[in-house]
Amino acid sequence: MNTLLGAQRRNTELGLLLMAGVLTAGAYTLAGLGRSASLPANLVPFLLIILGLLAVAHVATRRLAPSADGILLPLAGLLNGVGYVFIARLDSDLAGLQAMWTALGVGAFVATLLVVRRARDIERLRYTFALAGCALLLMPLLPGIGRNINGARLWVRLGALTFQPGELAKIALCIFFASYLVEKQPLLAMGTRKVAGVWVPNVRHFGPIVLAWAFSLVVMFWERDLGSSLLFFALFITLLWVATARGAYLGIGGVMFAGGAYIAWSVFDHVKTRISILADPWSVATGAGYQTVQALFAFAAGGLTGTNIGQGSPQRIPAVSTDFIFAAIGEELGLLGTVAVLVAFLLMVGAGLRIAMRVESPFEKLLATGLTAIIGLQTFIILGGVTRLVPLTGITLPFVSYGGSSLVSNYILLALLLRISDDHHERAGA
Amino acid sequence: MPDSLLTILKFCFLALLYLFFVRVLRAVWAEMSPARIVAPAPAPTARSARNWGGAGRVGGAGAKAGSRLRVIEPAETKGQVYELGEELTVGRAGGCQITLDDTYVSQLHARVFRREGQLYVEDLGSTNGTYLNRKKVTAPIAIRRGDRLQIGKTVMELQG
Repeated sequence: MNTLLGAQRRNTELGLLLMAGVLTAGAYTLAGLGRSASLPANLVPFLLIILGLLAVAHVATRRLAPSADGILLPLAGLLNGVGYVFIARLDSDLAGLQAMWTALGVGAFVATLLVVRRARDIERLRYTFALAGCALLLMPLLPGIGRNINGARLWVRLGALTFQPGELAKIALCIFFASYLVEKQPLLAMGTRKVAGVWVPNVRHFGPIVLAWAFSLVVMFWERDLGSSLLFFALFITLLWVATARGAYLGIGGVMFAGGAYIAWSVFDHVKTRISILADPWSVATGAGYQTVQALFAFAAGGLTGTNIGQGSPQRIPAVSTDFIFAAIGEELGLLGTVAVLVAFLLMVGAGLRIAMRVESPFEKLLATGLTAIIGLQTFIILGGVTRLVPLTGITLPFVSYGGSSLVSNYILLALLLRISDDHHERAGA
Repeated sequence: MPDSLLTILKFCFLALLYLFFVRVLRAVWAEMSPARIVAPAPAPTARSARNWGGAGRVGGAGAKAGSRLRVIEPAETKGQVYELGEELTVGRAGGCQITLDDTYVSQLHARVFRREGQLYVEDLGSTNGTYLNRKKVTAPIAIRRGDRLQIGKTVMELQG
């Protein structure tokens, strides 16, 4: 196998992980100094736990995916670590939970690498994943276990555990979309009739896209989760476009989105509210626009380099440790801190797309594209919402926000990307 | 703790944060830049050894000198010759020494390499396979003068 490249990548990964651990501990120290002007009492155990978790993930990649990409894991570790420091600074109850979820996430990462030994094995299970994805999406609607939190019905409660099955559904449906499109690719790429001077594929093959669109609307309607339905829809259009190399799908998707958005705007009050907040948050600054306005104040207070962790007042923003954590980073680390978060996501998306470009099997190519698109789109949707670029739709910032289901599923997603990149090098390697 | 010290620490943290990204970018760059693809050493052929005033390399002395692959098919590239060094990779990727623009050829398809004077061909996990004298190459196999190597639509003959 390609031991030279593999060894190089693992050593890169080890160096970067160490640095990510030190950065996290540094941020934790800064937060302690900023809040109480003393070193955090548990700094040494904290550093050891962080390095321990990163070491577990690193040993797992060394053993199970030795030639996998070397920068994705450190970037995720850094985002997770910095996110944790901010959550701990904002809400100490959530911090304990987030630490537990991080450990579970690393466990899920190792388990995924252990179970999925070759990415092409999961291609055959496409309908299993489709069913699992739909079932997971619909789970919160079941009476008895479904839970309403903040007006959205996204949670499921089993015993003492509350989680959001929709987060896992994203990955399952992405696997289904990728394998379905690989199967139907020739049919969808072909134009069979001419409409207004352009060749369009047979209407029959639009079936799945219409179905996906309808399904995302059903989810939106019942669960009031605008962010996720937007994510599903955009993910499907992206995959369709990448699979067929036909720009027409982007146009069709855009028109469908405009139609869906218009209907949602005219039918649902909460959509109307979001749009009016985007247009003018100041007139409702003490009411519906409070969250957005507070986030804007936070960014303004942060300036270029921030007030330092622990010395701002981001806790005024509602939902600051989940959807609005980016605003807390903006207030306490300033423009430089927020740009760093963006750069980290940009590098992750770049690494994911490089994996997709290098791998040869069409399914793995499309799956890597889809998984990368999930991270990229989700980041865009929430950061655009927080910074008032697009209407706000509540969704977590991958790896940074508080949220157990999101963290665990993002680690699974990361493991799949690493698996794909390793597969490729095992076969291409000398 | 004075605020100025805290501000200095904050700047240190931000600097370290960006240093992290610089290191990530350097790792990406090291993989992407063509310099990493180890260029084949100039073939230690008898001819080049003579050109250097007879100071031929000891290791190359026993090697079969001046071997090359000549394209037999398809007609468009027929007659093209590739000199063989210590190692040569064939594939669709631009980084390969022999780049074949053919959809049946994988990015990194096969390699021809020399061990103790003997040339071998090895398939690198290609999708459509590498064929030596019409037999599929499954493990590194010795290749001799007159052997025909088929990769995608291209057939090459070992000469010299």
